[in-house]
Amino acid sequence: MITSVTETIRERVKAIETTPAIPTIFLPLLELLNLAPERVKLDEVVKLVSYDNTIAAQCLRAASSPLFGLAKAPESIKGAIITLGLRRVQTILLTCCLGNAFPTGDWVLDPIVFWRHSLGCAMICQKFSNKLTSSDGEKAYMAGLLHDIGFLVNCMAFPKEFGVAAALAAREQIPLDEAERASMGFTHCETGRALAENWHIADDMVQVIAHHHAPEESEAAQPLVALVHLSDMLCRVRGMGYGYYERHRVDIMGDPAWGILLKEHKELEGVDLARFTFELDEAIPGVFELVSTIFGGTKKA
Amino acid sequence: MSGITSAAPAKIAATMDPIFRQIRDLVYKVCGIFQLEEKLYLMADACGRRMKQLGVNTPNEYWQLLTAGPNREAEMRQLLNEVTIGETCLFRSQAQLDALRKVILPELIADKSKQIVKRLRIWSAGCSTGEEPYTLAMNMLEETDHLLKGWKIEILATDLNDRSVETAKKGIYGDYALRSTSEYYKRKYFSVLGEKKLEVRPEVKNLINFSRLNLQDDSRMLFMKGMDLIFCCNVLIYFDGPSKAKVINHYYSNLNFGGYFFLGTSESLLKLNESFRLVHFPGTIGYWKPSLKSGKL
Repeated sequence: MITSVTETIRERVKAIETTPAIPTIFLPLLELLNLAPERVKLDEVVKLVSYDNTIAAQCLRAASSPLFGLAKAPESIKGAIITLGLRRVQTILLTCCLGNAFPTGDWVLDPIVFWRHSLGCAMICQKFSNKLTSSDGEKAYMAGLLHDIGFLVNCMAFPKEFGVAAALAAREQIPLDEAERASMGFTHCETGRALAENWHIADDMVQVIAHHHAPEESEAAQPLVALVHLSDMLCRVRGMGYGYYERHRVDIMGDPAWGILLKEHKELEGVDLARFTFELDEAIPGVFELVSTIFGGTKKA
Repeated sequence: MSGITSAAPAKIAATMDPIFRQIRDLVYKVCGIFQLEEKLYLMADACGRRMKQLGVNTPNEYWQLLTAGPNREAEMRQLLNEVTIGETCLFRSQAQLDALRKVILPELIADKSKQIVKRLRIWSAGCSTGEEPYTLAMNMLEETDHLLKGWKIEILATDLNDRSVETAKKGIYGDYALRSTSEYYKRKYFSVLGEKKLEVRPEVKNLINFSRLNLQDDSRMLFMKGMDLIFCCNVLIYFDGPSKAKVINHYYSNLNFGGYFFLGTSESLLKLNESFRLVHFPGTIGYWKPSLKSGKL
């Protein structure tokens, strides 16, 4: 039974992979991101982006978002890389690519709500990561951006089944993954993992996508998975959830993920979680603005 | 490691004297109230009013008064008065009320359902002129036919100021205090008094016991036992560190295991008590006294 579900997921994911909506530069860019930063050359990225004017233009607009730190849009990709750094520009590019990777048709989830959550989680992951010593903020951002990619798979490959799950979640005010498990028998974690593996995304990211609701089950990169898990929960209680009230209490410091992170990062004990929460609220308008810049739309979450 | 620049501030904040951001951080350090970047202009306005009263010309001069002046503590209290002015109204925090009704009440009811006496005790500490306890009472009454069927609700509302307590008992409010109250609640729980005044109906008043209480009176604080919920919004900000820590320790003892403590929406405990656990609900934070069964005391 499990095998047949896994097979069905794989087959349907393969069909998505061939969708023409995926920007041609997306997968090569992912490959570049898998490389160690010192092996990525500026010219390679510039050349890659020159194949897609739409993505390039979006990237330049997004670079001037308060989230990314430039007051004025840079005039070229090369200029953006010189000012913001290669890895930051790769992050922005991937954000834009991902936004274009899936057609914004008649989704089960409102695409604007989905992107607000994904970008919101990316922002929180990065801010969280910046509170920790020896933690890679760009990688954390990427993990936050990609963590719920399985919902996109569900929207495209399992629209009917996922529609039932989403309606159940909204009606009962329960987390979406609980509703998926109850009504579909699998979750966006499995479908996201299938897509990530198909795209040959780095294993750390696959672990995040597959285990962000249960970090203790991840086979590798547990601190990163734990960080995404906590950021995802914070994101959902600070107004960037899935468009409905989730009837739950989030106990960040009582969560096993907090314990996982604490083992690696003793400095976490000194974090003022209340102040951190207030600081996140300050960044939310920036997320909304960025989503409008990249994806359009003005609907409220 | 690269950092995202802080936030998407209102454009006004960007042009503001950076001293106001320093004052915002000082206020947080002293009392735990955090003013969001987008609302930094409110902090600047509050400082402006104080500067005018004191005849101070520049934000920098005011900063010196707050940090190095001989009356800096008194001035900080004056500033806090200005920062929190006009915040009191009924239904001030819908996120707290949603958390209360949608998350906390079902949990408390389930936890306490095996007890012989089905009773919930709520304390509004520093209730001022009654807006908070009446809001809580109306929300409890909304649940009496559902979640709270068969339960006795006791709301204790205390304040240091006698006059505030007397005003609270009357339960008469004008447009400003009622600006966040929906027509539904106005119609159901208020009587019209004329001249744009509404009076809280007796069935709401009957749920509340008003009294005067000094939160620093240790002997009386020891008797406030058996609470399931404590609300104390924008009160502790006026206390110095040690006094605040003492009051918070009292609250912890006053609460039943599994009970909750709420501050104002932009207030924090500043890690003054390590026993309380900060918990998040959609749109708001609260503090939880871990239940015995959670094994995380």
